[in-house]
Amino acid sequence: MEINVEQSKLAKALSIVSRITGGSRTTLPILNNVLMEAKDNKVTLVTTNLDMAINYYLPTTLAKDGKITVPAKLLADFVSNLPKGEVKIQVNQEKLTVSEGKYKSVFNGNAAEDFPELPEFDEKSAISFQMGIDDFRLGMNAVKIACSSDTTRPTLTGIYFNSFEGGLYVAATDGYRLAEKKLINKIESEIKAIVPVQCIVDVLGAISDNMENIEILFDEFQVRFRLGEIEIISKLIDGAFPDYRKLIPEKSQVEILLNKAELLRGVKLAALFSRATSGSIVCESKKDEQVFVVSSVLNEFGENKSEIEAEISNDAKVVLNSKYLNDVLLVLDEDELKFGISGKLSPVLIQNKNSFDYTHIIMPLKS
Amino acid sequence: MFDVWNNVLAELEKKLPESHYLTFFKDSNTSLISNKDGHIQISVPNTFMQTNICKKFDADIRVALKNNGVEVLTTEYLIVTNKNNRSRETTNSRGSNFKNLSDRVGTVQRIDLERHSSLNARSQNRTGLSEKFTMDNFIIGTNNDLAVSVAKNIIENPGMKYNPFFLYGGAGLGKTHLVEAIGNELARRHPEFKILYIPINHFYNDFIQSVRNGKMDDFRRRFSELDVLIVDDFQFIVGKEKSQEEFFNIFNDMQQLNRQVIITSDRLPSQLKTVDERLASRLTQTGAYDIQFPSFEDRCAILHAKAEFNGVEIEDKAIEYIAKSVETNIRDLESMYSKVIAMADVKCISPLMVINEGMVGVVGNTTRSKVFSPSTVIETVANFFNISPEEICGRSRVAHIKTARQIAMFIMSRDLQMSTTKIANEVGLKDHTTAMHGIKKIETDTKTDFVLRDQLNEIRDLLNNGII
Repeated sequence: MEINVEQSKLAKALSIVSRITGGSRTTLPILNNVLMEAKDNKVTLVTTNLDMAINYYLPTTLAKDGKITVPAKLLADFVSNLPKGEVKIQVNQEKLTVSEGKYKSVFNGNAAEDFPELPEFDEKSAISFQMGIDDFRLGMNAVKIACSSDTTRPTLTGIYFNSFEGGLYVAATDGYRLAEKKLINKIESEIKAIVPVQCIVDVLGAISDNMENIEILFDEFQVRFRLGEIEIISKLIDGAFPDYRKLIPEKSQVEILLNKAELLRGVKLAALFSRATSGSIVCESKKDEQVFVVSSVLNEFGENKSEIEAEISNDAKVVLNSKYLNDVLLVLDEDELKFGISGKLSPVLIQNKNSFDYTHIIMPLKS
Repeated sequence: MFDVWNNVLAELEKKLPESHYLTFFKDSNTSLISNKDGHIQISVPNTFMQTNICKKFDADIRVALKNNGVEVLTTEYLIVTNKNNRSRETTNSRGSNFKNLSDRVGTVQRIDLERHSSLNARSQNRTGLSEKFTMDNFIIGTNNDLAVSVAKNIIENPGMKYNPFFLYGGAGLGKTHLVEAIGNELARRHPEFKILYIPINHFYNDFIQSVRNGKMDDFRRRFSELDVLIVDDFQFIVGKEKSQEEFFNIFNDMQQLNRQVIITSDRLPSQLKTVDERLASRLTQTGAYDIQFPSFEDRCAILHAKAEFNGVEIEDKAIEYIAKSVETNIRDLESMYSKVIAMADVKCISPLMVINEGMVGVVGNTTRSKVFSPSTVIETVANFFNISPEEICGRSRVAHIKTARQIAMFIMSRDLQMSTTKIANEVGLKDHTTAMHGIKKIETDTKTDFVLRDQLNEIRDLLNNGII
């Protein structure tokens, strides 16, 4: 095998494919390797951890047939430290030589035959659709904050893609908060699939500026994201996602309109005084004064209170985890937001002021 | 069928490189779903496993199946998921026209409702009982004779004297077998009885589902119609307060109507944290009966019975060896036995030869043939917990280092028969009473903490197999 490739392209490709190697599942050493294969003038890089796989079609100036696997992280680190220029890659038996001008490394590889096979897609029965990369990124960032990391409830550790009344929605919840975003207005097919959040994180990490579209393909058991030259495949999480739509209140008893940046500042300040109470802060709307008060008390050290001007329909008070509130404020895309309270222990509803494609609810803390 | 698959796995473990076995078979929940005249269906967890097992290990699996006396025409690898009906087939090379869909869906669905540990014979009738557990194949010994006589009394007079029947004991000692045998026997004698066997986790999952769907009436009705309720693994109710309350209500109703309730747990209710005292005392009002680990003679009896049941020839010496070498539970005992038999089958030699040749790996804390030094113990334990030997011999009181140190001391005391003074010297303790305390702590903790016990067994495995 012989490949000539531009250093920057190779470095970028390796940094993306090596993300999923060397994980906690190291029972199979070859999973730390990247499979390089040149065939018919095309070069592909492949890595997998047996939950996910990344396929990268590498643009090259020369590609002679052959294949080999070598340790991915080591190769990635070597190539990323090379200067700009053309990198020459040659394979001799189970050794891979990478050279550029004065710099040269020889990597001990393993036979490509030992590398796990990747699952194939049943393209006929699969559902596929395309969407703009910016919409995808916004949507994923907005819901992935609510994913759980509790592996005893695996269905909550993913993002739930589901079609509903003709649109495609994504949702995530950890049992304390829930985020839902409408991803596509119109979709023909029926989708119900939970994609592991780790896969979404890796897809987001593989996005670069020049990309415009992402193609997503679901079959019964797995999903494939295609971004330009990159394909990311993951198994879906097995199980049924909670029927979350019932949890979203249709209307809040008290609605508050206020500025996002000001509320964010208030939440951050109050969080400083909420450490002893594991982040709980008090949010109170005062109708007469038309202010929204965010406050917290740290007995030993003192207390804090911020008053934010707001349009308020009635008095209300609720205690929330400041981290959850902080997370959602960072992903809202409008400057003004709507904050809905329906009682001390009912879910708080947070949305943009004008657009309603994103819904976030937080369960209040018992004070 | 379950045993066959275990034997196949054991054979694959021997045959394949360790890394492949660990990655693709150990803990990956493969199982044999069905065998219809040589058309074999095997369940796999996901597409990655499906592709690789099918493409790389199919030949090995066929050979292993044949070695275990299974005729193989076609093999199919199906993904079995929790969502009903979501199975996809990948049919292999030869004879790929095996398409009896309704049949397969039936099989796959049933597996979802079952517990993984007993995939084989849990019958489809509504009791949830597995027919393979009967009183006839339950071996009575000194470790369980009291529990068995109570069981027999219940079979004669259900709902009378021993109601509730609370049975406890460690994992793999036969609690489930005994209570299911009671259920099966009652079902045979009283076909009109409504009997339900339910592991407690299914109970609270159903409960949560019913609350969520607003179907509590259905849930309660289901239980109010029962004549016999068998609840398994009660210890998992810890921390589920609402489920406890609901269970208590059901329990009370059944009691008042003299309907039999049978409960198993790995410890006494009073030792279960957060279980309501009122409930705890009610559960054991007719006494709590335990199943202990069987003595050496009992273990031999179990193995003899098993060999007879399977029609396998095995020497008394081989049985004695197996009985002597497994000191954890009956499940491990059976696993070791299956391994020996499988190996004997494969190699076409007698079971005793297998043992004499040292061809079976150790299960749990078995024979300690190898002699190792205290420093090896410390090194192995340190490696296992990913800390340095110096840390073990140091003064750190960080929890995981402390546990590692105690485990090392425990092994030195039990396996090397060292005195506590020597042990204290070895790990740099000033006082031998600290060593005594540590050893004692591990000894008590292993009785209840299964993670710790597994860790201890793994370390002993490492020591005996001499990786270092």
